[in-house]
Amino acid sequence: MQQKVEGYPLKEYTTKICQIAKEALENREVTAIIGWRKKDFWWQSPVVFLEDPADVQQLVWDPFTIYSPVKFLLDWQESCAAKVGIFVKGCDSRGINRLLQDKRLERERVAVYGVPCGGKADAEKIRASFPSKEIKSVTLIGEELVLAVGEREERVKAEAYLLDKCLSCRHPNPVVYDKLVWEEVSPRQYADESRFARVQAVESLVTEERFAYWQRQFDRCIRCFACRNTCPACNCRVCIFDQAEPRWLGKANDPADTLNYHIIRAFHVAGRCFECGECERICPAGVPLQELNRKLIKGINDAYGDYEAGLDPTDVPPLGTYRGEDPAGFDES
Amino acid sequence: MPVTNEGFEPLIVAFCCNWCSYAGADLAGVSRMSYSSNVRIIRVPCSSRVNPSFIIRAFQRGADGVLVAGCHPGDCHYHSGNFFTRRRLTVLKQMMEYLGIEPERFQVRWISGSEGAKFAMVMNSVAEEIKRLGPNRKLRDVR
Repeated sequence: MQQKVEGYPLKEYTTKICQIAKEALENREVTAIIGWRKKDFWWQSPVVFLEDPADVQQLVWDPFTIYSPVKFLLDWQESCAAKVGIFVKGCDSRGINRLLQDKRLERERVAVYGVPCGGKADAEKIRASFPSKEIKSVTLIGEELVLAVGEREERVKAEAYLLDKCLSCRHPNPVVYDKLVWEEVSPRQYADESRFARVQAVESLVTEERFAYWQRQFDRCIRCFACRNTCPACNCRVCIFDQAEPRWLGKANDPADTLNYHIIRAFHVAGRCFECGECERICPAGVPLQELNRKLIKGINDAYGDYEAGLDPTDVPPLGTYRGEDPAGFDES
Repeated sequence: MPVTNEGFEPLIVAFCCNWCSYAGADLAGVSRMSYSSNVRIIRVPCSSRVNPSFIIRAFQRGADGVLVAGCHPGDCHYHSGNFFTRRRLTVLKQMMEYLGIEPERFQVRWISGSEGAKFAMVMNSVAEEIKRLGPNRKLRDVR
């Protein structure tokens, strides 16, 4: 029986996660568990694979379990025939739907444990206000972030320290799961208004200003492909950016090639991007990729009706279908 | 001194669907209509064969304008190819404009096999617009 605890209790979440993982491994329901564990520093909670029930105490749920474990499923499935258990946040669960809809994942080979998510903290924002070296731990209690800094305890409003992508999150609760770790949380109220705000700001510029704006952004891009690697929608077996023959993307540091990369990357996830925002968060150069993805979502919604990707694995993405009376963005005379 | 585009001869790449627009070009030819010599036609089996990467690559390798021409909606030789083209290229066009590329640089038109005159007219008007815009510098390889 689940104990009733008010708010968003991270400790209890962690206990429950460990318990579910332990049971699943001991009962041989799954051969491995994908979750998060704590690493050396307070801001590190990377993804971990566990196969031994004795190790499940490593699992953790804290404000930094940001990384999406979903894409690891692809490697796992290709290398091993056994069933795997995976813990997912709201955004990650839509990644699971993404893979299912793209027919890249066999549902019966994954046990999905959904974790309702109260938002993840942005280490950069915390570092800007507190001395990083003195922070011992960070935890989220309700709408408050509680930090152990040196000998004292600091309580701050969580909103100012959450990741941008979490502030505009529409689905904090997992949309697909076999087991839910905790009761569902309610989505943030301001999520809807902030969704297209940045897109509209860029749209309001004139053509030359827009070009200059994006050139400034793309100038920083080092084409490390982190945005592609982390994206559950970028799940092709062979990515066109890796292909040598034909070579679609030049290797030289050419602004036109960088622009090419960003146009094609965004276009390949058009109608399939479910706005998890990992591309933008993971970008080492701070390129505002969500402004591109959301522009496409907005355009598709305006022209072909509202569609939200990653909610139903059985429907067809908007660019994979058509209607006879579709409007066109060009002269149709 | 103001920069003028006088003497500028643009390079325009036109992807024409084999069944309608290419036939339209053929009709313009056999009807001895003259149209802009800046246009280079690439024949594709269907307008939905045109991968957005083709368009970007054309710009990178020196095109000043790109035109994709296909059958009118409902007339596709493969039943529904151009309906997919319509959604896809609408989205691509929106994004290119959002990134600061002039809307005239990349155009999509429907031209049927019997519309030789329309083919010539569209090519002339596209060439005229691109001439006015000047060379494409935004998407071109610097190498």
